[in-house]
Amino acid sequence: MGPQFDEMKRAVLEGDEDLARELAIEALASHLDLKQVMNEGFLKGIQEAGVLYEQGEYFLPDLVCSADAMKSALKVLDEEIKKPTSGMVSKGKVLLATAQGDVHDIGKTIVGAMLTAAGYEVTDLGPDVPNETILSKADELQVDLIGLSALLTTTMEEQRNMIELMNSQNQRLKYKFIVGGAPVTHTWADVISADGYADDAISAVCLVDSLVE
Amino acid sequence: MKMNGQVFSPAEQDLVHKKSMDILENVGIAFPDEGTLSLLEKNGASIDWDRQVAKISREMVDHALATAPKEFTLGARNPANDFALPSAYSALNLDGTGVYALDPSTGDKRYGKLQDISNAAKVFETVPMGKVLWPPIVASDCPSGTRNLMGAATSMIHCSKHIQDEVKDVKEIPFLMGLLTAILGSEKSIRERKIYSVTYCTVAPLMHDKDMMLANMELAKLQVPILVYPMPACGSTGPFSLYTNVAMANAEALSAVVLFQLASPGTPIIFGTAQGIIHRKTGLFLEGAPETVLQGVAMTEMGKRYGLPTTIAGCLTDAKEPGMQAVLEKVLTTLPLSLAGADVIQGIGLLESSMTLSLEQILIDAEIAGLCQRMRDGIEVSSEKDCYNDVVSVGQGGHFLKQPSTRAGFRSNEFYTPTLLDRDSYDEWCALGSPNMFTEANKKVKGILAAEPSNPLPLNIEMQIREIMEEMRRKG
Repeated sequence: MGPQFDEMKRAVLEGDEDLARELAIEALASHLDLKQVMNEGFLKGIQEAGVLYEQGEYFLPDLVCSADAMKSALKVLDEEIKKPTSGMVSKGKVLLATAQGDVHDIGKTIVGAMLTAAGYEVTDLGPDVPNETILSKADELQVDLIGLSALLTTTMEEQRNMIELMNSQNQRLKYKFIVGGAPVTHTWADVISADGYADDAISAVCLVDSLVE
Repeated sequence: MKMNGQVFSPAEQDLVHKKSMDILENVGIAFPDEGTLSLLEKNGASIDWDRQVAKISREMVDHALATAPKEFTLGARNPANDFALPSAYSALNLDGTGVYALDPSTGDKRYGKLQDISNAAKVFETVPMGKVLWPPIVASDCPSGTRNLMGAATSMIHCSKHIQDEVKDVKEIPFLMGLLTAILGSEKSIRERKIYSVTYCTVAPLMHDKDMMLANMELAKLQVPILVYPMPACGSTGPFSLYTNVAMANAEALSAVVLFQLASPGTPIIFGTAQGIIHRKTGLFLEGAPETVLQGVAMTEMGKRYGLPTTIAGCLTDAKEPGMQAVLEKVLTTLPLSLAGADVIQGIGLLESSMTLSLEQILIDAEIAGLCQRMRDGIEVSSEKDCYNDVVSVGQGGHFLKQPSTRAGFRSNEFYTPTLLDRDSYDEWCALGSPNMFTEANKKVKGILAAEPSNPLPLNIEMQIREIMEEMRRKG
């Protein structure tokens, strides 16, 4: 492993967005092998951050910084990675949003970053999004999975409404649909017939892995 | 003197206020509505129209604090339960917008229903220090747009005390007015009696929610008391340090005071907070932590500094069930607020970071709060409590049991009378079936729910309220 790959890993692990972006730009300029850049560099960093988080060494802010550093590298590399010549294969397309009436989106943003880091193409529509907008965007992007988050007890009902909207448009089977947020539970996901629920960003990646082939 | 507790020296309070003013003047607050921004600009705020941010001056804050009343009464449909602010003791409130209920018959956890709110209201009616009722959970069996008002309506039927709730949209106001008019008869009485108040949460960091803001500005015009209730959490929606998170919460609360005093000068304001910390790994909001109640005490002090009545989130726990952790955390988050002199402690009856209602916990928490209040009342040094003559009379040896002052004193406020604590001998305790606080509370809850209501609404008024509830249900 070259020293530059170590530096890429370190940039992500330490959550240094600027360094990660610079290293990604350098990697492109130097025509480094993208598969190596990802697998031996940036991805190693986010994977190690995940391990440290699981071990209790990393707290939430550490994970957010690592995920954002990973995102800043991916933003530079995105176009090249998507080319068949890169040797990188997207694991699937994911669309995320926070329910209408709910302006909280820290948790969902972390889930998005970790999914991106895990190799998914993630589109994040942000907070306070009507279900109709989400479904129309899902159709436009041809996503595999929709994730809808709600922090408030009053907005988690939108998750049930989303299922009803998908049913009414005969689109329920077209997408996998997962839910999250502080008041949401496995039971709620079962009650509304969602495809799954995860209570943190790491388990959200495992959940999406299990749903998107 | 009374026993007291404080976290800030007067100089530190000044520093927090200055820091809050720096935030209001230099960073500003988002008010996502052009009409509101115009109102703020007309009254001295500097507006960034693109970002919908208003920078609020010291003069505006001083003016708002001057027009906000320092004393008022939260009325109740039974006037005997009227609650005057500020209060000499820390009264109690449930905590709103929970999700689950523990079934009093089976103990099973399930999504909350309207019946759970009715049951909570009946139990709360029996709690002497319980003066303000915020419907504790969201009724999952009601249409989603009606849940706040359905909870408030059923609380009005089953509890004769002051009702407090959130109003999230102006569309809810006609129904609310219908409920209040059914009970009080006229808009004039609604203004005067103030049997209903609203909880208004700012959105951390430094934002107001448009729909809730506009709805609450309309209610201000009706002189409905407003509890301003910021909720920033250290390190996620607020800065990591308790000091600056308090300063930011204080800035958000002051911005709401300014807003509602501009909307309607003289609107009664209750200064509050439900700020806290997060689980550093998962980000879950933590309520039962010492760092949460320290911030509550800090905001109690800031409210008192401004001369405003206070309602502070307290008697809280992150435990998932009644038991040792719940009691430990609830004592920890009640006593400091009681000693700081919060007018209302808001949170009894809820578990799991205020997500789960337990009817038994309402009674257990009332006991905790009663004990804490006794601590606050301290040791009275007065001529009435000066028993020197008894000492002279008894002298050496003997006992004080037959002293007239002892017999009277045993019935006085010198001693707190527990309602749930076990103080029996071991043999007596065994003979009673080895009860614990929870089993005793469960027995009392079942008795309360089986009994006739003590302060029922007249049937014709109850029928009017039920008709409004049906209309809300139909319209969704």
